Amino acid sequence: MLLSLLSKRSLEADSRDAYGFALRPQHVQTYREYSHIYKEEEEERSNKWKNFLEHVEKSSELCSPEKAHKEELQAEATEQKAETVPESGEEGNDTSSGKSVSGCSSERDPEKELQHSKETEKSKVQTWTLIRSSLSSIENMMSFRVRKGKIMKDKQIIVDKDHLPSEAASLGGASEDDVEEDVCFSDALNDSPDAFTAENSASDGFSDVVKVAGEVEAMGGGVPNSVQGIGTEEAEEAVANGAPPEPFFPWKLELESLVHGGVPTDLRGEVWQAFVGVKARRVERYYYELLAQETNTTESVDKDNSSGVPRKWRRQIEKDIPRTFPGHPALNEEGRNSLRRLLLAYARHNPSLGYCQAMNFFAGLLLLLMPEENAFWTFVGIIDDYFDGYYTEEMIESQVDQLVFEELVRENFPKLVNHLDYLGVQVAWFTGPWFLSIFVNMIPWESVIRVWDVLLFEGNRVMLFRTALALLELYGPALVTTKDAGDAITLLQSLAGSTFDSSQLVLTACMGFLAITETRLQELRDKHRPAVLAVVEERSKTGQVWKDSKGLASKLYSFKHDPIVTEEKNTTEEGTTDGYVSHLKSGSRNLDELLSGTSVDSEVDSLPELQDQVIWLKVELCRVLEEKRSAVLRAEELETALMEIVKLDNRRELSARVEQLEKEVAELQQALADKTEQEAAMLKVLMWMEQEQKVTEDARINAEQEVAAQKNAVHVLQEKYDKAMSSLTEMEKRVKVAESMLEATLQYESGQAKALKSPRAATTQGNTKKLGILSFGLGWRDRNKGASDLKSPSEQREPSSPKDKTGEEEKGNAK
Amino acid sequence: MGCSASLPDRSSSGRLVGPNSENGGASDAKNLRVKLVLLGDSGVGKSCIVLRFVRGQFDPTSKVTVGASFLSQTIALQDSTTVKFEIWDTAGQERYAALAPLYYRGAAVAVIVYDITSPDSFNKAQYWVKELQKHGSPDIVLALVGNKADLHEKREVPVQDGIEYAEKNGMFFIETSAKTADNINQLFEEIAKRLPRPAVSSTQNP
Repeated sequence: MLLSLLSKRSLEADSRDAYGFALRPQHVQTYREYSHIYKEEEEERSNKWKNFLEHVEKSSELCSPEKAHKEELQAEATEQKAETVPESGEEGNDTSSGKSVSGCSSERDPEKELQHSKETEKSKVQTWTLIRSSLSSIENMMSFRVRKGKIMKDKQIIVDKDHLPSEAASLGGASEDDVEEDVCFSDALNDSPDAFTAENSASDGFSDVVKVAGEVEAMGGGVPNSVQGIGTEEAEEAVANGAPPEPFFPWKLELESLVHGGVPTDLRGEVWQAFVGVKARRVERYYYELLAQETNTTESVDKDNSSGVPRKWRRQIEKDIPRTFPGHPALNEEGRNSLRRLLLAYARHNPSLGYCQAMNFFAGLLLLLMPEENAFWTFVGIIDDYFDGYYTEEMIESQVDQLVFEELVRENFPKLVNHLDYLGVQVAWFTGPWFLSIFVNMIPWESVIRVWDVLLFEGNRVMLFRTALALLELYGPALVTTKDAGDAITLLQSLAGSTFDSSQLVLTACMGFLAITETRLQELRDKHRPAVLAVVEERSKTGQVWKDSKGLASKLYSFKHDPIVTEEKNTTEEGTTDGYVSHLKSGSRNLDELLSGTSVDSEVDSLPELQDQVIWLKVELCRVLEEKRSAVLRAEELETALMEIVKLDNRRELSARVEQLEKEVAELQQALADKTEQEAAMLKVLMWMEQEQKVTEDARINAEQEVAAQKNAVHVLQEKYDKAMSSLTEMEKRVKVAESMLEATLQYESGQAKALKSPRAATTQGNTKKLGILSFGLGWRDRNKGASDLKSPSEQREPSSPKDKTGEEEKGNAK
Repeated sequence: MGCSASLPDRSSSGRLVGPNSENGGASDAKNLRVKLVLLGDSGVGKSCIVLRFVRGQFDPTSKVTVGASFLSQTIALQDSTTVKFEIWDTAGQERYAALAPLYYRGAAVAVIVYDITSPDSFNKAQYWVKELQKHGSPDIVLALVGNKADLHEKREVPVQDGIEYAEKNGMFFIETSAKTADNINQLFEEIAKRLPRPAVSSTQNP
């Protein structure tokens, strides 16, 4: 129950999940995303469970009115009863605690827990807590299974004594260690109710052994009315009311689907106990007896007491305790002490098994969910019953399971197996750890716990197989893409480690592999067990480990690599055991038939001796190996074919690409041509423009030249004009001179005329004429002065005329 | 898959097989792939050696290994070859020895680890050496590693014992400390140097 002591803060502080387990750094983010989903799922399932439990309770009330009455008196639907052992020898008094929790809403009172743990600390008292009564119906149902299982086991022990050396060894062990066997045997061997007479002689604390035996008897319909303990009243009643050997539980299917959906966290500890049938397993005070022995031996530390836990296990446990969920906040000093006590108690309880690595994790997990003694009995149920023969010295059943699983994988995932064979990966390399650890530390915790829910409910290892197959189903497609063994295993490990979608995993497991049933597995186990046993026997006989030339299991592991040896074996075997071979050949020519194992059992049984079985199996094995070898070859062929196809595919793709590129190139070329044409046109235009320009230039030059010529002409004209002007001025000067001369002449003439007046009449006439011309010249002169210097051609011409005139005048004058 | 047309005939198919990891060392001459298995008593630090080598980390409170765990790491040597170690780290408890053949079979290298502060673990190492000499690959490279060399004040197995035993059995010997990272890389580099190099033609065919 350590889990309830966790404070939220400590969880968040160093990236741990809701159960207090460390998260890998790369998973922290994913976990956070999923934690919302987990929360929603949790709410949903706790509602479902609440309804279910109420419903079941009602129906069970109808069945047994007496019980219903009792519960009314209790006035509470659920009740947790705690008892402290030294105080009360008798079982669960209803008045003992009154620590009731309402319904399924299960909020545990932290104070109570605190008190609880304080109590434990103070007095080192272990508490045994009954589960809430609303779950008792489930518990009853499961208890039937436990008892039935016990009877079966007893029979098995008697029949198979030789096959299970570890079991046989434990029978012959020290007396005190045989409590469990006593339990088992007493019911099988004692036919009379006399066994119950020991009931009240509780001095040695083992009266409960008998009690349990009694229960089993009662179930068989033997002893109806003796009630041994008050605490187990429901179970007893169900039995005593003349219940049939296999009672019908109408809600079992409903419960199953609920379990597939997961058990609510707050109910989990108790539900698990109910599933494992702890109540039916529990022998009162047994755990404390074991612990008491333990303290005795620790007092005499170094003595290797025969009744104590052997030193090597004690050492191993000590080594492993700090390495069990290291850093988990609940595994403090006290938590570790609980873990140590539990493991040592188990080693004492089952000395032939003792302690096996992996058990530390299971015990640690259970201690997180329930009180120590409850955890112990749950643990005992899991290891002794569910995983019987798994963790023993030879680990026979776990080896058998690996062979069985490999066969199932070959059946279900032929493609994946071919690829793994091709890479040289053996399935057992990674599934071995999965199975042995029941997925603890292999997949995320939420998923581990959901798998455990189903596994514990089903009461066998079917879920182990289904989950492993589901993981391969989920991740097989990715695995097929890997290129070497290391990559494949690394990938699978990391994918499995990030299986946060626990619902998907559980549903895939439960719905996808319905064909995997306990009966089927048992058949397959029976088929493979002889091979493992043969190897183990040989090993113990010779004191050697795995003799490759003879060890069957080892050959099954390595057959792929030395086919020649196998073939040789095959031929020699056929030579020496003609009879069997021919007999068997007819029976199992078909490989599929052999694999399904239907025909095998009867034949195995019909064989007279184990040795013959071994020989026969060897032959069969060789045949299977041959088949496998050809299958491998075929796989290789397919692989190469596939590669070629892939290559072809590539080629096709490439040619398509080339075509496309060519098209593009053509387009580009076209564009280029267009462009060049355009360019040519442009050039033409440009040239034309250039010519134009030239023409214009020429025109301009011409124009300029013309302008220059005109300027020249203007210049010339100007010069002419200037000359003309200068000559004009000269002429004017001359004119002036002439005028002055004329005036002078005139003055002279007038002077003369005065003198010559009368005589000369005719001349006067002539003189007047002369005077007329002169006055005209003077008048013109005046007029010319006023007209200024205009350059008109008429003017330019004028000077010549006056000149002429003056010339005429001068002529005239000169005359 | 309509691949029947391009099926190669049977005789040639064997040669086309790629990574047949019979010896865990099948790969070309420049890029070696090596299956390596770590064996030794419980708690001698096998997992810590691997974690130090692969991730460069040391966690004094590492988890118990159940069954086996796998990690891989590639190193480059001076002659420009690379070696990819595929490391199987096995569970130390004695009874898990029943499963060990599954992991050491076909391994090219076995690293047998003991704790220099524990004579028991040294005995256990000798047991593993014998088992591998009997049942391992005939050309397997064996390395004997005395771990926890940082705890020299608690030493109970003299260096000389390790050296002598290794010499007698033709093994490579080194003392390491996963805690201080002492000699961890050297261990794997030395192993890489001792690996038998594959011949130029790597065809193997029945």
